Amino acid sequence: MKKMVFGAAVAAAVMAGLSGAAVAKDSYRFVIVPKVVHPWFDLVNDGAMEAAAYLKETAGVDVEVEYLAPQTASVVEQNQILERAIATRPDGIAIDLLDASANKPVLEEAQQAGVKLAAFDSVPPDGMVFTAIGNDFCEQAKLASERLVELLGGKGKVAIMQGVPTAPNHNIRYECHKEVFASYPDIELVAEGIDNDDIETAQKQAATIMQSNPDLGGWVACDAAGPIGIGQAIKEAGLEGKVQMVGLDNLPDMITLVEEGVADSSSSTRPQIQGFYSVMMLYDGANGIVTPKTVDTGILLISKDNLEGELR
Amino acid sequence: MKLKNIGFSTMQIGIVAIVLAALIAVSSLVSEYFASSYNMMIIARSLAFIGLVTTGQAMLMLLGELDISLGTIGGLCGVIAGMLMVNLGLNPFVSMLLAVMFGALFGLFNGLLVTGLGLHSLVLTIAMAGVYKGINLVLTKGVAITNIPEQVQFLGRGQVWGIPVPFIIMLVIALLITVIAHKSPFGRYIFAIGDNPPAARMLGIKTNRIRIMVFTLAGTLAALAGTLMVARLGTAQPSIGDSWVLPSIAAAVIGGVATTGGVGSPLGAILGAGIIGVIENIIVLYGVSPYWQGVISGVVVVLAISFDSISRRFLFGRH
Repeated sequence: MKKMVFGAAVAAAVMAGLSGAAVAKDSYRFVIVPKVVHPWFDLVNDGAMEAAAYLKETAGVDVEVEYLAPQTASVVEQNQILERAIATRPDGIAIDLLDASANKPVLEEAQQAGVKLAAFDSVPPDGMVFTAIGNDFCEQAKLASERLVELLGGKGKVAIMQGVPTAPNHNIRYECHKEVFASYPDIELVAEGIDNDDIETAQKQAATIMQSNPDLGGWVACDAAGPIGIGQAIKEAGLEGKVQMVGLDNLPDMITLVEEGVADSSSSTRPQIQGFYSVMMLYDGANGIVTPKTVDTGILLISKDNLEGELR
Repeated sequence: MKLKNIGFSTMQIGIVAIVLAALIAVSSLVSEYFASSYNMMIIARSLAFIGLVTTGQAMLMLLGELDISLGTIGGLCGVIAGMLMVNLGLNPFVSMLLAVMFGALFGLFNGLLVTGLGLHSLVLTIAMAGVYKGINLVLTKGVAITNIPEQVQFLGRGQVWGIPVPFIIMLVIALLITVIAHKSPFGRYIFAIGDNPPAARMLGIKTNRIRIMVFTLAGTLAALAGTLMVARLGTAQPSIGDSWVLPSIAAAVIGGVATTGGVGSPLGAILGAGIIGVIENIIVLYGVSPYWQGVISGVVVVLAISFDSISRRFLFGRH
């Protein structure tokens, strides 16, 4: 099913280029606005650049990808970046929304200005329609929390590290982790931390939580920074193998934690593919092609068994 | 001395205004998008929030004080406004007013601690920033308060003749405070205390009372910025104000307000905030890599501050 979605998206994108749709141009400029300066989003940008090269090769158009990242995960700053991006009248903007409600007024300004929009790793605000590129965040979270429950033999104390609580994707994962844990009577959720997508904060929170819960069985997280910080805290406390962790995403540090055995596995999104399809959907939109409501980029459970060849 | 300072302020404001005008002219040449009406509007809107905080900070700096907690006061008062209108169902305008009054109370508290305990305002307000941020997180658990009533959102999002409402509010307040600073006895006391505190005391000026009043004013303005930002976003974000303090100090210094007190003007500080706003805007419009933006923005601020210091030495022989 996912492959079918990919195929349809690629076909639509290439058709837009090949068919020379009414508004086709020789060059396009798309802006990528992530949540914050962060290695995960660098991978998204890599994918976006790949799409630009692909479009040049297949459709012969010049696509400029501009990457504008807020310095901190603050919706105020993200809105300012977004406003400044709109002022440059790009053909499209792909954004990872920090807070759907707070981003909404500026996104509406973008649509009023005729700028095409796409959301990656997040979903559009209520009442707005544009393509969301990402995976099923709930499915991704459930894959991780179910795996943790399995590792613990269906019994024990667990903790969740939230990312940015107002970020829609982080919040969906958080709720779905809780839903899974609540379905097992012998699993007890004893602690929750908030790391605001910051590794150092995650490390501090995890260390404190593990000190106050010496019988903690394992961790799941809602963002990419969280499991890296948790892994550092586990290593510092010498709790490898005693406290289990199922991580999230495929940052190099996360992969290393899986290799080292600090994390059992990681339920991973595909940032490069999200970046790739963000540009493809914007390109289609800019050419008057109706784009799908969602593009599912899939989930991969990374473990020691399938590490070879996985993004290293 | 006082007359010399006021003359100096006028000269300084003139220089800063020329620098800002030159920056706008250069930016218009560098980027075709800079002079667009939409871009001017977003610069003005952005300046509104930081401008309010800068005005309060500048008044404190004229006294020789600083308040590092102004950003967190703004964030906390935004959250208080959100809780009052959403969780408690109070009239949204009354909620905003009450939240601004909370800001005044927090500022008053800072002032009382600084004067009562004889503590350095920089150190004390760093600690108080932690306290206000902590209360914010206790109240919100880091989660934004959504569903802010639409009737107050025009205060943050609305426009009058194409000018953002929060910018108009900021401009009126900044001009009013500038007039108070330069034309009222209260303002003259502030300059006198900032210039020479022992001399001010000998003249019979109640220095601690003035300090407390200015801390209260700064807290009020920060709270107003926080509540207006809530109206702008439509949600009360716990992170509001996190990035306001350093730009407010930098803007005041660029605008000619001396960190040692007694020299400068709130109006100059607003122009300084304008310079920072234009620099941040043009960096993004010009497509500078996000990894370089902080470096460039910082270097330009250092250059502007250096220019300020050098111009003082040459023009007035004063460091």
